[in-house]
Amino acid sequence: MSLIAPAALLWLIPLAGIIIALYLLKMRRRDVRVPATFLWPAMTYEIRANALFQKLKFSWLMVLQLLALAAIVFALARPQMLQRGLGGAVTVVVIDTSASMSATDVKPSRFGEAIRQAEGLISRAQSTDRIAVIEAGSVPRVVAALSGEPSRLRLALGELRPTDAEGDVGEALRLAASLAANQPSARIVLLSDGVFPEVSNFSPGKAEVVFPRIGTSSENVAISAFAMADTPRGRELFYGVRNFGREAAGVRLQLFADGKLFDSKSVELKPQQTVGETVRAPAGAKLFEAKLEGGDALAADDYAVALSDPGASVRVLLVTTGNLFLERALTLEPRVVLDKSATVPTSGEWDVAVLDGITAERIPARTVLRFGALGRGLNLRKPTFADASSGQPLLRGVELSDVYVDVAESGVAPAGAQVVAEFQGGTPAIMTRPASGRREVIVGFRPLDSDFPLQVGFPIFLANALEWLVPPSSRGTKMVVSAGRTISLPAPSDAPVTLKGPARSLTLNPTNGSVLLRDLRTVGKYEIGKRTLHVILRSDLESAIAPQDRVVLGGTPIASTNAITRFADLWRWVALLGLFILAGEWWLFARRS
Amino acid sequence: MSLLLSPTDFRMLEGLRLAPRRPFHGRIRGERLTRRRGVSIEFADYREYTEGDDLRHLDWNVLARLQHPVIKTYQDEEDLAVYLMVDVSASMQFGAPAKAALARDTAAALAYVGLCGQDAVIPVAIGGSRQPLVTYRGRSAYARVAAWLDRNLAATGPSNLAQSLREFARQNARPGFIALLSDGLDPAAANELRVLGGRGFEVNLIQILAPEEIDPDLEGDLRLLDAESGAQVELTANRDALRVYAENLRAHNEGLESACRRFGGRYHLVRSDTALSSLIRDHLRPGGWFQK
Repeated sequence: MSLIAPAALLWLIPLAGIIIALYLLKMRRRDVRVPATFLWPAMTYEIRANALFQKLKFSWLMVLQLLALAAIVFALARPQMLQRGLGGAVTVVVIDTSASMSATDVKPSRFGEAIRQAEGLISRAQSTDRIAVIEAGSVPRVVAALSGEPSRLRLALGELRPTDAEGDVGEALRLAASLAANQPSARIVLLSDGVFPEVSNFSPGKAEVVFPRIGTSSENVAISAFAMADTPRGRELFYGVRNFGREAAGVRLQLFADGKLFDSKSVELKPQQTVGETVRAPAGAKLFEAKLEGGDALAADDYAVALSDPGASVRVLLVTTGNLFLERALTLEPRVVLDKSATVPTSGEWDVAVLDGITAERIPARTVLRFGALGRGLNLRKPTFADASSGQPLLRGVELSDVYVDVAESGVAPAGAQVVAEFQGGTPAIMTRPASGRREVIVGFRPLDSDFPLQVGFPIFLANALEWLVPPSSRGTKMVVSAGRTISLPAPSDAPVTLKGPARSLTLNPTNGSVLLRDLRTVGKYEIGKRTLHVILRSDLESAIAPQDRVVLGGTPIASTNAITRFADLWRWVALLGLFILAGEWWLFARRS
Repeated sequence: MSLLLSPTDFRMLEGLRLAPRRPFHGRIRGERLTRRRGVSIEFADYREYTEGDDLRHLDWNVLARLQHPVIKTYQDEEDLAVYLMVDVSASMQFGAPAKAALARDTAAALAYVGLCGQDAVIPVAIGGSRQPLVTYRGRSAYARVAAWLDRNLAATGPSNLAQSLREFARQNARPGFIALLSDGLDPAAANELRVLGGRGFEVNLIQILAPEEIDPDLEGDLRLLDAESGAQVELTANRDALRVYAENLRAHNEGLESACRRFGGRYHLVRSDTALSSLIRDHLRPGGWFQK
């Protein structure tokens, strides 16, 4: 308990002194002669005074008056107490719906617990409170704007569903901060397990951020890799299984070819250990599935799919210190299964490595897309593009003349490179190098040193580059897509198409010859027209389900709290108590006089 | 000279005799039977003849029939000592009419009944200055008893009911019938009544209280002054205080009644505004004070 105005307590001294002084005044009594006094009790209640002075006598009236005074003065000191419930007139509830929230270490799941806590907040809200709800999914959205209507808020909560995709908590928090901005007393409640990367570029302003951590266990085993490759030894499947928990685990991995079980293995894993193996794939099969049986907390990452058509799925490694534009543009390509890293990993196998200004000798990828960092020196200031030949497949649909570049690398093209576009003056800007065994696309500047990422042509250029680097071997009807991705597929006509998912079916309207799929949020098999999409979750971030004791938001660490509390004003209740005591004092006075 | 009672009162009292609940020894032969065997016409019992017995009381019929001599015994008849104790303490002056007035009239009536019954009537002023006991006998003594009452009950001396009763008990007066007319407002009164009972007296108390003592009409912040001891009690007269007073008075009166009944006496609580005739008719007669 704390006091807003503790100085008000000082009033107690003089006011109590006045009351006691009044009781020190002696009462003048009327003399009455009686036959005998021994029958009369010595009951004196001095409620009036008209003479000085007497010894202070105990009086219930005085005690009640002092108690009432103490209560009223205490009320003036504005006492506050921590209480469960909302604090502040405006509360923005951010609910994490990412894959890790589907973990069942708390019943029914972390997501279910988040919904339960959100409903508790709504039910404990006062009539003057306003609440907004934001879903921190792969695409954050406001599911309920600021409102004081509990029914409306509960309806919005009821529409929320957990996803098997990576969430974007940072963007959701920025959205929450904008809603809470300029509000005099605001609070952002993040209902999450803390399984998300450090959030940068976030400032809550005057709002307070509260993080009641959800989740208890870190034990989870996931399929970290599952791919098929044609090797000199024949067609092989590579799988990797990783234990993200803090204790040893044993699981059973089952491998299916076109739906038929062809291998089953027991895998024993130490904490944080990854076990990988290559097995021969059955000839002729087109669809390979891997399933883990072990009953861990998160089921979404216990399933993986690989297709026999290597072009149907492109594993891309993005090596960058942070480039949201590049990341977003890459994920627009439906074939891409994207991994991110700040440094070039020493192990692994990717189809494409995208190096954002990073120089590396050994690159664990079959092809490379480089942005800058060829070692030629960034000393070409504000170059402009020369007219590019329109016949280049890499520049199909891409307009470079409007691109502004602040600084680019100078020098000549590397050996074996073919210039696709060049700056005024002949400096190569974009090159291709069909090197022996490994194709490379080289861009002579970094995206963030230009406004190229803001141009319409940027994602088209990336799509062209990926198609050139890993050309689809056939026009297959099967695809593997990461959960939460928004992809675009060509539509044969403008007629509505039906997307049949594992849980429900949706009718989508094609636009400009393509249909946009945003609802691939849960792992499983989707069908749209003749195409089959296998949605999988492969995210080390989401598989590492260990709930975090603290999260870093905008450089500020926020520790988790056990309960959402607020300071509740008690002065009304204390004042009411004072009035109640006064009423009791009046009753006693009336009864005795 | 005032006779204190009206002719109506005298007519009402004619023919009444005081009825003690047990017999007492008398000093002189009177009209009351005692336990002492004596000479009278009231047959009591037979006993064996012994030498020296008066042969006039030998039952000759029994001797002739059974050849065995038996002597007839008779109950003796003596006078009864009737102590008319009248409280003259200051508290008896309270009430309208004053409690002392009813006490005086009641004492006069009981004195008249006693004198007519050939009892020894001894008026005693309780709560006042100590005076020698004077015994009156015979109907003709009523005027002197009335004068005594008129004289001694008018003046009040130092007031202490319990102390006066204690002093009376020490006087070695012969046991008899005590009619105590008092308000009994002394915390030690009940104890002294037990002492008297223990010494062989039959204590009959008529407690006279003023209406404002039974149901006080006090209000406000008061300082109560004791009329007898001068003690002071500060009081805020409210419902609680009145309730406690009523409980205390009830407990005190129960103590007095218990002390009287413990040794065979009677107890009556009457208001000071009660008429004498009403007191005789509604309290004393039903209470068995008189025999026909």
